[in-house]
Amino acid sequence: MSGFETFVEKMMWIERRWLYLLVAIAVAVPVLKPIGLPVKPNQETRDFLAALDELESGDVIVFSFDYEPNTGAELDPMSRVVWDYCFEKGVKIVALTLYPGGVGNAENVMNPIAEKYGKTYGEDYVFLGFNTDWSGTMLRMGESFKLTYPADQYGTATSEIPLLAEADSYADTPLLISVASSQFAEYWAIWAGGKFGQKVITGNTAVQAILVYPYYQAGQISGFLGGLKGAAELEYLTNRPGDAMRGMDSQTTGHTLMVLFILLGNVAFFLQRMRKEKAA
Amino acid sequence: MLPALLLLILFLLSPEAWAQAEVAATEASTESGNLWFDTSRTAELIAVLGFGLLVVIFVQQARRGMDFFIRPIPGLEAIEEAVGRATEMGRPILYCPGLESMDEVATVASMNILGQVARRVAEYETPLKVPNRDPIVMTVAQEVVRDAYNTAGRPDLYQAENIYYSTYSQFGYAANVCGMMIRERPATNFYFGRFYAESLILAETGNMTGAIQIAGTDADAQLPFFITACDYTLIGEELYAGSVYLSREPLLMGALRAQDFAKVAILVLLIGGSILSFAGIVDVAAWFPG
Amino acid sequence: MKQVAPLVFGFFVGMIMLLQYFVPQPPNPTNFFGDFLNSSYSTFLDWKQIVFGMTLILGVISLVRHHSTKVRRKERDWFYSLVALIGFVIMVIAPVVQGTTEEGIYGWFFDYVQAPMQATMFALLAFYVASASYRAFRARSLQAALLLIAGIIVMLGRVPLGDVIAVPIGGGDVYSLADLANFVLDVPNLAAKRGILIGVGLGVTATALKILLGIERTYLGKGA
Repeated sequence: MSGFETFVEKMMWIERRWLYLLVAIAVAVPVLKPIGLPVKPNQETRDFLAALDELESGDVIVFSFDYEPNTGAELDPMSRVVWDYCFEKGVKIVALTLYPGGVGNAENVMNPIAEKYGKTYGEDYVFLGFNTDWSGTMLRMGESFKLTYPADQYGTATSEIPLLAEADSYADTPLLISVASSQFAEYWAIWAGGKFGQKVITGNTAVQAILVYPYYQAGQISGFLGGLKGAAELEYLTNRPGDAMRGMDSQTTGHTLMVLFILLGNVAFFLQRMRKEKAA
Repeated sequence: MLPALLLLILFLLSPEAWAQAEVAATEASTESGNLWFDTSRTAELIAVLGFGLLVVIFVQQARRGMDFFIRPIPGLEAIEEAVGRATEMGRPILYCPGLESMDEVATVASMNILGQVARRVAEYETPLKVPNRDPIVMTVAQEVVRDAYNTAGRPDLYQAENIYYSTYSQFGYAANVCGMMIRERPATNFYFGRFYAESLILAETGNMTGAIQIAGTDADAQLPFFITACDYTLIGEELYAGSVYLSREPLLMGALRAQDFAKVAILVLLIGGSILSFAGIVDVAAWFPG
Repeated sequence: MKQVAPLVFGFFVGMIMLLQYFVPQPPNPTNFFGDFLNSSYSTFLDWKQIVFGMTLILGVISLVRHHSTKVRRKERDWFYSLVALIGFVIMVIAPVVQGTTEEGIYGWFFDYVQAPMQATMFALLAFYVASASYRAFRARSLQAALLLIAGIIVMLGRVPLGDVIAVPIGGGDVYSLADLANFVLDVPNLAAKRGILIGVGLGVTATALKILLGIERTYLGKGA
């Protein structure tokens, strides 16, 4: 057996912890020493931005934070760019979350950006908070935001919030954006879009993004951001470089390492199989 | 009679109905068009009625004793062996019903399979642990397991605290289940239902603890993870068929048969529609607005 | 009665939800039946939210009972249950007293305990994907080899490296690995996904019909 074969054979039974260490190094090094790989936006992201560009100052949109802190690293950058872009355009936002843990993410995104643009709570944006029963929430909002949420996150009666006098159902909102770590993005398209004709665009984790393609091709979702790469593309297109663009280097090295693992595993597998065939 | 009565009572109790009736009286619409039926949804109505008819026909056939064939599903064949293995090793069995609520078909199917698993578990007297992320599913799971233990003639073995609520948080749930796997080392792990990104964390931890693992989900993005880390995986509709396969309940088998026929009909429509559209004879896509 | 009443109620509510879908939106006030369906539909959605909220209480009771029993009996690793109970009490009481502001206890726990812990769990995926793919992603058959190739194309094509790896195809056009990855996602992936969607859609409709017809009774706690 050659030295290479011995090495490959040993690699085949390598303990998990060594793989973990290599992954940690591959992801951490580019964070400390960025490579600066270029970002090239794809059509889905361009369509997502086109939907934002169609909005006019004074329009009211719905934004649903459908994720919790666990996926914050992947999804918060999307939310930040959208909020920043909309507030700069003068678009007003009705926000909510379908996760109890999403309240913190929402506040961490909304508050600093609202402060940056001097937006007034209740007039330029409102946070309805978390509501139990996501399917009921999606459907009921088609009739009335105020009836779905009698009070906002901070206990104010929604009937007293000026922004909700302007927009109280999907009929009053030209766009709904769901940034989601689960299938909530698709459900918004099915229920708010399918039943009430609400235009929907979404931001998804990379794993969930592949599920959005059928809805995107069928026009039920007008554009979407796929994972951190989608967020980086939006940051690039809107000239707002942030965490996502910085994360692209790490993602590249991480993916490349995994491909190398797979190739190495297969080389070892074939060498072993050839040896067995020879012995037989 | 009873539905009509309920209908009336509910209507009388509904303040919105009164409010809207008042609007009707004062603002009688002059809009023309169909008041009763949204014509843009004709295709959906035809599909629902057609499919409903198929279900009724095959359920009737099943009632009359017609036997339907279901191809063997290896993952379900292995349930007996997996339960037996846990018993031999004197370790508990873990059953994860997924992350969604009872309005997901995957969860409904999972509860059906849980009933069958619990029946076998009761016969073997092995502890069964069911951590839940949804409180409604927890309540149903408790009832399903209790019912299974009663059916197996072992109501004394049922322990409600083993079917418990974990947390609503997705990864909090994953942490809870993984912690339980590491501490209690269940010999067999079942994952049936709708899962998301936590699927690999659960299955890989189970793989590390050396448990025999059987999974089933209709979340196609998670299938590769389960296939990689589990011994058996039920793919998509196999999960729906799973409970029918295990129970051999004739009425449910009839409905399953109807699904297969509907699939054939859709295939014919897809292929025929594509040919007609390509040939420029009929634009079939126009039949399905929206 | 215990069995029949829920079945009748299920049928009734299901029919309302089904019929309402086919009634024009928004309702026409002159259509009394349509109005009735729409208002009942709204009422049911309100009820659904209330019922779900109430079941969360059941969940909380189960959670507290599960962990407090472990602590009381000093079962193995009971300390973790104690931590869970303390965390639960803090995260319930703090926002009631101080609100959910960043400066309060809830905000602190959210930013410095809950968020990092949840992110850690999610980040584990990177490590587990690496070990699982290394162990199991083998070209054992033609199908597995095709899957492997598609997987590698998408993994590299969905990061900026995919844009860098490109070949000229004439006429000044360049075809990159990212374009190839998009093709894999747009065409073969989508075809398979649609197939599964059709199956799932039929499964959903069949289950709904089975519930309406009283064949499916799992929601009553009766396994098949």
